[in-house]
Amino acid sequence: MTYAELQATTNYDFLRGASHPEELVIAAKALGLAAIGIADRNTVAGVVRAWAKGREIGQRVLTGARLDFADGTPSVLCYPADREAWGRLTRLLTVGQRRAKKGECHLIGGDLMEHGEGQLILVVPPPRLDGAFEAALKRVAGEFLGRAWLAAARPYAAQDLKRLAALDALAREAGAPMVAVNDVLYHGPERRPLQDILTCIREGCVITEAGPRLEANAERHVKSPAEMARLFARWPEAVARTVEVAGRIGFDLGQLKYEYPDEPVPPGKSAIAHLTDLAWAGADWRYPAGAPETVKATLRHELALIEELNYPNYFLTVHDIVHWARGQGILCQGRGSAANSVVCFCLGVTAVDPTAPDHDLLFARFISRERDEPPDIDVDFEHERREEVMQYVYERYGRERAAICATVIHYRPRSAIRDVGKALGLTEDVTAALAGTVWGTWGDGIPDDHIRQAGLDPQSPDIRRATALAGEILGFPRHLSQHVGGFVLTKRRLDETVPIGNAAMKDRTFLEWDKDDIDALGLMKVDVLALGMLTAIKKAMDALGIADMADIPEGDRGVYDMLSRADSVGVFQVESRAQMSMLPRLKPRKFYDLVIEVAIVRPGPIQGDMVHPYLRRREGIEAVDYPAPSPEHGPADELKAVLGKTLGVPLFQEQAMRLAIEAAKFTPEEANGLRRSMATFRHHGGVGVYGEKFIGGMVARGYDRDFAQRCFRQIEGFGSYGFPESHAVSFAKLVYVSAWIKHHHPDVFCAAMLNSQPMGFYQAAQLVRDAREHGVEVRAADVMASGWDSGLEELGSVGDGAQLIRQSAVRLGLRQIRGLKREEAERLVEARAAGARTLEDLARRANLSRQSLELLAEADALRSLGMDRRAGLWAVKALAPEVKVEAQAPLLALMGPSAEGDFDLPAMALPAHVAEDYRTAGLSLKAHPCAFFRPLLTGLGAVTAAGLKDMKDGRRLSVGGLVLIRQRPGTAKGVVFVTLEDETGSANAVVWRDVFTANRRAVMGSAFLVVHGRLQRAGEVIHVVAERFTDLSGRLAEMKNEGGPVARLVRSRDFH
Amino acid sequence: MDEGAAALGLFVGQKATDATALVPGLATAEADPAADRAALEALSDWCARFSPAVALDPPDGLILDITGVANLWGGEAAMAGDLTARLAASGIPVRVAVAGADGAAWALAHFGAGTTIAAPGEEMARLAPLPTAALRLEGETAAQLARLGLTTVGALAGTPRDQLTRRFGPEVVRRLDQAMGRAREALVFRRPPNPWFARLAFAEPISTPGDLARAAGDIAGLLCARLEAEGRGARRFELCFHRLDGMAQRLCVGLSLAGREADRIGRLFAPHLESVDPGFGIEVVTLAAEAVERLSPRQPSLDDGARIALEEGIAPLIDRLAGRLGAAAVWRAEPYPSHAPERATARRPPLSESENETWDLKRPRPLRLFSRPEPIEAIAPVPDDPPVFFRWRGVAHRVRRAEGPERLAWEWWRVAFDQAADPVLVRDYYRVEDEAGGRFWLFRAGLHTGGAPAKWWLHGLFG
Repeated sequence: MTYAELQATTNYDFLRGASHPEELVIAAKALGLAAIGIADRNTVAGVVRAWAKGREIGQRVLTGARLDFADGTPSVLCYPADREAWGRLTRLLTVGQRRAKKGECHLIGGDLMEHGEGQLILVVPPPRLDGAFEAALKRVAGEFLGRAWLAAARPYAAQDLKRLAALDALAREAGAPMVAVNDVLYHGPERRPLQDILTCIREGCVITEAGPRLEANAERHVKSPAEMARLFARWPEAVARTVEVAGRIGFDLGQLKYEYPDEPVPPGKSAIAHLTDLAWAGADWRYPAGAPETVKATLRHELALIEELNYPNYFLTVHDIVHWARGQGILCQGRGSAANSVVCFCLGVTAVDPTAPDHDLLFARFISRERDEPPDIDVDFEHERREEVMQYVYERYGRERAAICATVIHYRPRSAIRDVGKALGLTEDVTAALAGTVWGTWGDGIPDDHIRQAGLDPQSPDIRRATALAGEILGFPRHLSQHVGGFVLTKRRLDETVPIGNAAMKDRTFLEWDKDDIDALGLMKVDVLALGMLTAIKKAMDALGIADMADIPEGDRGVYDMLSRADSVGVFQVESRAQMSMLPRLKPRKFYDLVIEVAIVRPGPIQGDMVHPYLRRREGIEAVDYPAPSPEHGPADELKAVLGKTLGVPLFQEQAMRLAIEAAKFTPEEANGLRRSMATFRHHGGVGVYGEKFIGGMVARGYDRDFAQRCFRQIEGFGSYGFPESHAVSFAKLVYVSAWIKHHHPDVFCAAMLNSQPMGFYQAAQLVRDAREHGVEVRAADVMASGWDSGLEELGSVGDGAQLIRQSAVRLGLRQIRGLKREEAERLVEARAAGARTLEDLARRANLSRQSLELLAEADALRSLGMDRRAGLWAVKALAPEVKVEAQAPLLALMGPSAEGDFDLPAMALPAHVAEDYRTAGLSLKAHPCAFFRPLLTGLGAVTAAGLKDMKDGRRLSVGGLVLIRQRPGTAKGVVFVTLEDETGSANAVVWRDVFTANRRAVMGSAFLVVHGRLQRAGEVIHVVAERFTDLSGRLAEMKNEGGPVARLVRSRDFH
Repeated sequence: MDEGAAALGLFVGQKATDATALVPGLATAEADPAADRAALEALSDWCARFSPAVALDPPDGLILDITGVANLWGGEAAMAGDLTARLAASGIPVRVAVAGADGAAWALAHFGAGTTIAAPGEEMARLAPLPTAALRLEGETAAQLARLGLTTVGALAGTPRDQLTRRFGPEVVRRLDQAMGRAREALVFRRPPNPWFARLAFAEPISTPGDLARAAGDIAGLLCARLEAEGRGARRFELCFHRLDGMAQRLCVGLSLAGREADRIGRLFAPHLESVDPGFGIEVVTLAAEAVERLSPRQPSLDDGARIALEEGIAPLIDRLAGRLGAAAVWRAEPYPSHAPERATARRPPLSESENETWDLKRPRPLRLFSRPEPIEAIAPVPDDPPVFFRWRGVAHRVRRAEGPERLAWEWWRVAFDQAADPVLVRDYYRVEDEAGGRFWLFRAGLHTGGAPAKWWLHGLFG
């Protein structure tokens, strides 16, 4: 008995299909189906996943779509018979999607006829068979003569057999023979509850009221050939026909051969010749003293391979984009494996020299003949100017040949519990409370005590259902969104490979496939990414007159000294709490140390428990040795080449991969499978199957089991955030550059960082504070002195001759004032330049709105006009009579000098000023809020943050401050890190899981907190291990002693 | 929010789940603004004993104009004391302030200390230390006044009026004037309700059943005459017999269509009169009409004939059936969207307009559905062919024709989640016809699993 299921719906038919494409394919394989056809409604978004799974496990997967029409034409299942027909199907879907708003597709019957050549068509009968359907069926059968069938299912409704008999008769009459399908919605019957929930979410109803919108039973799963034969016992030919239809489909996604767009090359030159010329010219630029022989040799080797694998056009494309950006003065840098390539370095795509001593980057990791996968070049651009680059790409290649790929938005724990709870009829406060218990991802559901803490009963059946189903829906695709910058560029029309739909943003389009799909099919893409730090670095380099990052001197001792002190607020990547506690232990002395620093504080090494061994070896406490197999299995130093650079401890993704090959003896195919499953691990947890092979392979060859298991845990960790060495090298470059600027020019650094916000880990208040601690004078934003951006005001210079260092004060920009519009601020600056010297003058000439004037006054930016914020607000409000004018209406006519009598407002106390500074600008230069509470804090036994460093390890103490950051790293098993800030500095508290559970509210909710606990000191790294808390958030309101509750002064940033 | 609750860390505006998390075992109830409003209105009606002019100040305030009435209590203080004591006796805490201006009274009631009586001319002195919020200033205005340091009524009053108006518009000064009695507020005083109510007092207490029936008829006549005069009818009537000993006995009848026919209403009360215990006699009878609605005077015309006949014909019948059997016993079945046959009908009032009167013909359902399926013995080929034979109530039936199965899985959200996919919770329904032409709706409970013999049930009869 053979059967092919021709009507399967995946969960990429959003809120309808209740199984992942992979699950359907696995079920088809297990049941022995000849083929399974994926036909989602008006989309092919899920077919690549199904196809890739099928290729992996040896199950034939047919790729098509169910087409629903807006004009009453009956729905059809459409399977392209060949490559050209596939192109017509994707163009058809593109037409429908471009016609509709994002996420929708409007088709009419005529579209199908237009793109019908080569399509196999299965007509899906409507619930009610009537004359109109009969006519439509005959029309389709006539149009698609010999290529049309009628799909018939047995859903176990009351009158199935009667209906089938009627359909069979219709099919014979129309000449579209009946084909058996099961109209599959999920892989197994146990998914029915989830499918019902999806229906409710889609229909926006509650399960108890959904009624007939739900399926009546659990029969819409993948069924075996024997079962299908039994169900269609009276129509065996309908079952046999399924295989016949499948046999006529000659198209396979593997036929989508990629053709790279031709780049313009000078006449008479081939692409490779042009690339070669560019690369050698680049080499002269990179090595002004002449390229060393190793570089020349590598360059020749790479160019030969690029020519052999036919990638020159790809390199020319990337070069073109980067070259254009350079010309526009946009800073960019390649990241990822491209850093292994000297060609990329010479073309200016990447900024690190792969041949530099101890970089030891290998071109083979970028492109290899064996792997036969297209190179992946990701380029970061300044985040404020990335859009310009994207517009250039569109302009250069046209909309038909360039598009951004999709990002699949999956159900995350919060959205899952919210949608499922709503569908189950839980009230909003209950679902909000449940969602609130979730931090980041959850593995095995929500722990009962979290539910209890949220004020709910974990034993209640409603809660159980909600959490169980939310767990199932987790990872389901919810909708497609535009990827941040992954461009796919083609030679042939792109919409003949994949449908292109509208994005939410006007005039934006994106592909239906995401980057995993693009990878699986072997298409090539260029990632045009945005990186905030590049913006800051560019602004700083402009201020300092530095043209290129390469011009910044390397190996500066002072920079490494600074980093070794963990003095790294604002420095790229190494500014987080975790990195700051690593810096003093690692004590970076050279560039490669920064590479390790960037890579080591990552889930991979942490989960693999590789961090401490590495540090111990580095500190010389532990001897450097190399794990070795038993003598009969190989030389004892077989891993020395792999692990030599990292003292025998695997830290990088490449090393873990090399271990699989060298130590666990993976075949290249297995290693490739492992690598691929690591890339998709996040969504589907596919690494596990390689675990046995990996650990078993190493143990069998005489490796220590514990070491093997740690290595594999590390691989699992890489799965969630892969971090190859080349990537770390690119990032380390930015670490060094930003640290160099911070060390030598803290004033420039501060201004550049402020002008690039939002970015990085810290907010303006911390950046300003850090700059002041480094002796930078920071001046308040003021209407008579500030521009929109923060600027530098020259103070003079110290030293002389070559040692001359100019020093500047940072003048905060008007951008720091919350709510102030840029255009108005710029008009104000123009008016000032044109000579406006009074409030009235500024307001009139710059045509400022009342709202902006009030914002300026309330932010205390009128000081140079002789008014504090209170007097300023009083004056501003008098500028025009407050008759019901629109808040936004510009003050057109301003009155002459007012003849008001004198009236003195009460003076504002300093704490109230500080509170207002925080409210209006998020920072205060006048004082730190904690300073006002010092007596209270002292009364509670709290020492200052700065005082902690003089305390003995293990001492019980308390420390209090504003809560800056709360963090619960996924690698830290429920531990929460809280960073507090007082007037002397910041302090880190560690809250262990049980203490956190008992004090959840104080830890999560407070803005001003005293932590009581025990000091823990490891070298220069100091933590307070929390035991209990005093929440002082309510006391902050006292700063405004004039009544009215103060909102949280500092918004803490919570990292999940 | 009382002190005990505040001490536990609860506050107004807190999320219910947060509060429960803070105080495990906290009893919570849904907020019901409509009921709060109704209660405030009821309290306002009750306050009519103090003053004829009571205005609502939602959500929780009342304003009484006591001009000229305080002396009935022996002064404002005594009156305030009486009001406070009476409300306290009913468990209603209250803050009272008496002042010459509405705004001042509002400010003192909300922000003053305890019961405050401001003598004429004293308003400024008493209000000066209160926060500006006491002037009912809200939003950005209130926030900006605070930022300017003008945080008290006194500070605001000390600010030049022209400068205030210039900056904040007329609102601030107007509110200040309202508090100082310099500007009057337009208050909407609530008129006491005019209930549809009739009262019949007897010189001599009555107690015989005949007298009670006559009294019921008489009072119905009184009220119905009023209803007729105002073109109204009612759906519910409450008859109350007030006994000499102060006890009151109530009877209630409802109509399916609003009505005002005194005879009919009197007759509807008749069957219930025997339940009335007159004790030592009944001195007063009252009748209240509820759910009063506009009813056009009867004007039967020829073309309306059929409709009138139906309503006039069936409505009294339904009312009498409901009167005899209880209102719950008379209903109409209407399709309800559910796959579960037991739940697929909804009971509606007999003459209500139907909402979705469509039965799905593709899913035939028996005319008579047993409220409890009856067990039968049946023989059927596995796994899911229709039965060929079954025995019900001892009688054997040979199946001649059959249709099915129609597979209905149980509503998983009504069972524990780990049983949601249990194959036992599935029914295969068959429509079968026996040799005698009888048509039955049978089902097998659970899918065929090859284990225990299948259990069969009869769930209904067609025609």
